[in-house]
Amino acid sequence: MNPKVLGVIVAAGAALACLPWLGVPAFYKSFFYLLFHWVVLAVSWNILSGYTGYFSFGHGAFFGAGIYVTAFCAVKLGWPFLATLPAAAAVAAALGVGLGAIVFRVSAVRGELFALLTLAVTFVLATIILNTPIDGGPGIYLLGVNLPKLGPSPNASIYLMGLATATATVLIAYLVYVSKFGAGLFAIHDDEDVAEVMGVPTYRFKLLAFALSCALAGIAGGIHAIFISYITVSEVFSITVPLSVVLMSALGGSRHWIGPAIGAIVITCLLFFFTAGDSAVIGRALFGLILVLVILFMPQGIVGMIVAKWSALFRSSAFDTEIEHPRPATTAPTAPPVPRFDSTKTLLRVEGLSKSFSGVKALQDVTLGIRQGEILGLVGPNGSGKSTFINVVSGHFPADRGHIVFEGREMAGLEAHDRAKAGIARTYQIPRPFAQMTVLDNVALACMYGVSGLSRPAARREAEVHLHFAGLWSRRLAMPDDLNLHQRKFLELARALAARPKLLMLDEVLSGLTPTEIEGAIAMIARIRDQGTTIVFVEHIMRAVTALADRIVVLNHGAVIAEGRAEIVMNDLGVRTAYLGAAHA
Amino acid sequence: MVVPSFGLLAQSILSGIFLGGMYGLVGLGLGLSWGLQRQINLTHFGFVFLSAYLCYQGATVWGVDPLLSLIIVIPVFFGIGVVMQWALARFRISAFNSLLVTFGLTVVIESLIQYVWTADFRKLHSAYGEIKFTVFGLYVPLPEFLAFVVSATLAVGIWALLRHSDLGKALRAMAEDAPIASAFGVNERAISLLLSGTCIALAGIAGAMFALTYTLTPTQIFSWVGVVFAAVMLGGLGNPLGPLLAGMIIGVSEAIAMTLFAPSWAPIVSFSLLILMLLFRPART
Amino acid sequence: MLEVRSLGVSYGAAPALSGIDLAVGTGELVSVVGPNGAGKTTLINALAGLIAAEGGQILLEGRDVTGLSSHLICEAGLAIVPESRRLFGNMTVLENLELGSYLPRAKIHRAESLERVIALFPAIKEKLQARAGSLSGGQQQMVAIGRALMARPKLLLLDEPSLGLAPAIVIAMFGAIRDINAAGMSVLLIEQNVAIAMEIARRAYVLEEGRIVMSGAAADLMDRPEVRKAYLGIT
Repeated sequence: MNPKVLGVIVAAGAALACLPWLGVPAFYKSFFYLLFHWVVLAVSWNILSGYTGYFSFGHGAFFGAGIYVTAFCAVKLGWPFLATLPAAAAVAAALGVGLGAIVFRVSAVRGELFALLTLAVTFVLATIILNTPIDGGPGIYLLGVNLPKLGPSPNASIYLMGLATATATVLIAYLVYVSKFGAGLFAIHDDEDVAEVMGVPTYRFKLLAFALSCALAGIAGGIHAIFISYITVSEVFSITVPLSVVLMSALGGSRHWIGPAIGAIVITCLLFFFTAGDSAVIGRALFGLILVLVILFMPQGIVGMIVAKWSALFRSSAFDTEIEHPRPATTAPTAPPVPRFDSTKTLLRVEGLSKSFSGVKALQDVTLGIRQGEILGLVGPNGSGKSTFINVVSGHFPADRGHIVFEGREMAGLEAHDRAKAGIARTYQIPRPFAQMTVLDNVALACMYGVSGLSRPAARREAEVHLHFAGLWSRRLAMPDDLNLHQRKFLELARALAARPKLLMLDEVLSGLTPTEIEGAIAMIARIRDQGTTIVFVEHIMRAVTALADRIVVLNHGAVIAEGRAEIVMNDLGVRTAYLGAAHA
Repeated sequence: MVVPSFGLLAQSILSGIFLGGMYGLVGLGLGLSWGLQRQINLTHFGFVFLSAYLCYQGATVWGVDPLLSLIIVIPVFFGIGVVMQWALARFRISAFNSLLVTFGLTVVIESLIQYVWTADFRKLHSAYGEIKFTVFGLYVPLPEFLAFVVSATLAVGIWALLRHSDLGKALRAMAEDAPIASAFGVNERAISLLLSGTCIALAGIAGAMFALTYTLTPTQIFSWVGVVFAAVMLGGLGNPLGPLLAGMIIGVSEAIAMTLFAPSWAPIVSFSLLILMLLFRPART
Repeated sequence: MLEVRSLGVSYGAAPALSGIDLAVGTGELVSVVGPNGAGKTTLINALAGLIAAEGGQILLEGRDVTGLSSHLICEAGLAIVPESRRLFGNMTVLENLELGSYLPRAKIHRAESLERVIALFPAIKEKLQARAGSLSGGQQQMVAIGRALMARPKLLLLDEPSLGLAPAIVIAMFGAIRDINAAGMSVLLIEQNVAIAMEIARRAYVLEEGRIVMSGAAADLMDRPEVRKAYLGIT
């Protein structure tokens, strides 16, 4: 968090607050109010939709809810105006959380489905309001409502309320953006499943972002009610708000906290040319067209483009494909590592673990124990269930049957993010970094949401340590796409380590590497174990397995067929048959 | 709540069935394109309304029978669909971004419609609209009946095509695994263009039927989006009969709700059904 | 039948295949073996036109098919049995087979091709109306091979047909592949199961890290210590 940014936002707000006393004509106050209004709507929308990627087409519903709560409470219940605003926020937030609680549980509802569902909500809410005494049809007049005297005129008071809300919204958007919570939201955006497995409580975070977004929209609605002073269902719940916020954020850049605000300012200024009658329709057509053009030609928005050009200047200077030699220098492991495991303590015990996918038995009744401090090699022909084992233990998939006991605790019912907190981490066979975060931020996320649960600044510092260990420190500001396969695999490794796991599961981390790179990786894995982490690694490259593993478990068709020390197991006839076939075993 | 007479209930169920037929017709092209190409093309709605207004214009200003105007509408809209698909494929945009782009295009279409025809209500008065016949004491207006017949025929026809013809099998294979389908000789690009053209042509047909049956106003476009999507999702993507059957269920439920409560509660029905489906059968989509 | 010259494929900056030279003679069965990640599937996908090659040439019966899209390559006479089968799971077995003969030139012989496939894999007959996704691994493999045969290819590409199959079924499968080859079909087989790949092939190539490192008569290669070490880690 940069206190300078906070200072600038507050200073801008304070400066604008002086406007009403400068004798500016009412027209400008209204124009600025509209600017503030759209800034609030676009920025608040972005907190959910831009940060997490769950694009909502229903922002109009929550805004409309806010408008009607204020109108209803102020006119029909006689509340003082300012009291209606918290109610507006609360009701809008409750609606959002209610919808989200159902919808976020269903993993199929992402992307397009979520967008369409939220669009439908708008019409449902409009119908309810239209048919009940809340509106009933004729609309509500707010002319008689008493405005709090905040400025020299009623116009000024509305202006100031709008300004206050806009400043608060931008501040909140910034604070979320730089917080640990925000990092979690962006991780959800890039790869929700991986984020969950790394310890981000995705369900809770999505609900929180949604609630925040809706509450702010509700307040904007409350203030807007008094601005337009006569509200009807068809006006309030039209397509204008959902369309505009999407457009403003897309234009400004939905991945940045200030993007939507910039988009809102640009569009509102453009809108000004089309304020009356027929032109309103043309204005809408223009909005639609601009949206199309922005998505086609400038999908990352104005701010996104600026940021990309800026960081390209930094990245292009160091196209480094090497992994630095981590300290101390690597040597090929000629002697097998001294077994240091504590054979009396079982870290993970799996019993009767079974998992089927559409009738195919990926894991059949797997029972094994992993001892503290050992390196266990998990081998077997293709399709034998090795990756499934890792997926089930880490919580990526639920098991059909069986127990997973980690440090004495039953894991089988726990969500993936809780298992990450308990100390289980894994890498993916095909690396799955968070594509829109730098290498440093990828690793920092694990520091924040892993076992240690650090704050964001502390996490960034610790991430550098892990990057040094993995030899990636010089590429810390690069994007994952700029890395080659070797570097990406090591990024996976660094990210898994940064969670400070007690159990680390590596899924074919060596595949695709050159022999020299493999040597380096083997040395690194040995060092990881020396630092106290228990390792399960799935591998095909036999010399790595024999060099590193204390014990080997062989899987075939989802079942354990052998277990024991490497040389003994690999000489076992059954195992060799599974690999080489009877004639050559 | 008013307890209706049997006759009234039966009539409203019949209206519900016809309404469902309309949902099915509008949703037919949408569901095909979503299920077979993983594309949610919101412009579909824009084109339904555009076709409706064009038919209205043809009938009111030039006296052209709306069904005859289909002769022009179908090929033109087919061409538009092909061009749109070609453009979307060219830009290689993601599935989600295509949603945004088509959203933008729909807004453009809706605004243009409103600019040309204003927000006033427009009703197409045709010979068909005057004809009603009675079956078992129930009124059956011809336009609704005609729309239903067209909807059912198209749905069944396309279902049969998908099921039994080689082209249909190619489409289904492409939907599941396009690269492998291509490896067996399916010309993915050509078929994709053909499908998109057909979907927009279907939108054109739906528009003509829509014009015969309903009063037109531009802002309605977005309110239909919710219900039709619900029908498509409930009916199963890529299944041509799905939107029709689900549409009928929704239509009948809405009609019953309207008769028992008040007419304007209708949008709640489809949304509630959708939420219920998501809660209890989330894997469906 | 098939001639590959200096084929190269890259994923972004990283080369997955480089300088691949191989050939399959008419009526020959040639195997390509290699460890995981060596590029075997990449090779097959490049040959079938599923991914783009950079550099090099692919000649099918003398005709340059480099860079053609996959439906044209199928037209030219190449059919693929993909890794993990990749059947159209929601369609019936019969529909999968019919899709195999989608090409006009294959369609006219559809009935005859179907009979031949059933003769080769009698167990398919009772499963014709079953959903392809509901079949066991071995049954799916049979259907996948059948689907490719329905396209009446000149060259059959098989990508790791033994993957995930029980040993007994693998033996039966390879018996069928041998029969297909004996009837005159040229076959290129990619396998991780070295033993069986070498047993049925006349010639073989060993692929490692995107390059061909060994080639020759299958029987000779099998007894070489480097091959044994690569697959078992012990000599």
